[in-house]
Amino acid sequence: MSSRIPDTHAEAWALLPWLANGRIQASDREWVEAHVAGCEECRAEVASQRMMATAMHRGATPEAAATDEQRSFNRLWARIEASESASPANVAAEATRPATRYSRTVRWLAAAVVVQGFGLALFGFNAVREPPADGQIHTVTTVQPSRLNAPMVRVAFAPDASIATINTLLEHQGLSIVSGPGTAGNFTAELSADAVASGASANSVANVIAKDPNVTFAEPVAP
Amino acid sequence: MALKSVESQVPRAPGPGPDASERELLDRVAKARDQAAFRTLYGNYYQRLSRLLSRMSVRREDIEEVINDTFWVIWTKAGEFRGASQLSTWIIGIAYRRALNALRRAKIRPVSDEPFDEDSISVASTDDAETDGQWLSLGLSRLPVEQRMALELTYTLGHSCEEVAAILDCPVNTVKTRLFRARETLKQVLPSLAGMPGENS
Repeated sequence: MSSRIPDTHAEAWALLPWLANGRIQASDREWVEAHVAGCEECRAEVASQRMMATAMHRGATPEAAATDEQRSFNRLWARIEASESASPANVAAEATRPATRYSRTVRWLAAAVVVQGFGLALFGFNAVREPPADGQIHTVTTVQPSRLNAPMVRVAFAPDASIATINTLLEHQGLSIVSGPGTAGNFTAELSADAVASGASANSVANVIAKDPNVTFAEPVAP
Repeated sequence: MALKSVESQVPRAPGPGPDASERELLDRVAKARDQAAFRTLYGNYYQRLSRLLSRMSVRREDIEEVINDTFWVIWTKAGEFRGASQLSTWIIGIAYRRALNALRRAKIRPVSDEPFDEDSISVASTDDAETDGQWLSLGLSRLPVEQRMALELTYTLGHSCEEVAAILDCPVNTVKTRLFRARETLKQVLPSLAGMPGENS
């Protein structure tokens, strides 16, 4: 930090925007405030800059709707899934990295495998294709629904969620796992005809299960 | 106008955001490829980046592409962030460079191709805020993108001079100069800021 006290009008003038927005450096605040206190032109400029800040806030672009944000994220996530599923070597390499550094990833992958192995039997899973011979992981975007036009929900579970807990949660909402996990650990579940008949939708069910502590992510799958 | 009365009208600068909690989210993305953490981080920046890119003349329909390119980089490089700067500085800096590159490649059409219609400003408006907003849009449209960004980062996003320099990848003195020039230009088109109400109308 410089020991110089640059008590000049020009230097203070240049720093007034950050005096106005409250983010001026501590080392400058004292001398700039002292200068402004004795300088009518700088006081007027600070007032002017604060008005400008207010006008810029007021004139900011209207916020995008939450649905726009979710739709945008869904596109990004589909891109990530497609990229990662297209690079099986990368996925395999990640799984073989040191366990200390990637312990949570390994635990999650292990949990996902267990959930997939046991869960599919528990849920009467019958629509997922056989794993390909090349061992490539298929993402949720590549599977076929078991019932034509059935509302679908994409869901991820907490790594420590038990099979029984997941089973109860899904059963309660009329959901059946039809595919997964994707490379990010997502499953796709379809809504039963009974649940649809009673007024449930992919959106309403996703909203409900998203609040469950055993669920880390839930969203309706676009038809 | 009294300084105190003006101060009370100014919205509190949002600042760089809760860096510690966002660092935790980034760590979860880097180490556990945690989608929920990634989604939260995305939500924390979506509106901020939308506004910033809009000020950069990026068209509404192209903004999503730049935001998603930015978060693609964050997903793939999360483990490389070492905390040399604020996380918000890093993320906004990526978005700024992606947008600049996109504009340079002319993949994204600049809004400023469309001339601002000064006649569209209603001089008969009784709503001072609305009129000021229209003049502000006119003034901002006349600034080079670098000056517009310095203003936006300082006033709307509440960054310090040093953070703005890091985001725009330029020296601190350059940021001061850009803002100095931007202020002078805006005073020519914002009657109330220039202390000349009605002169331009």
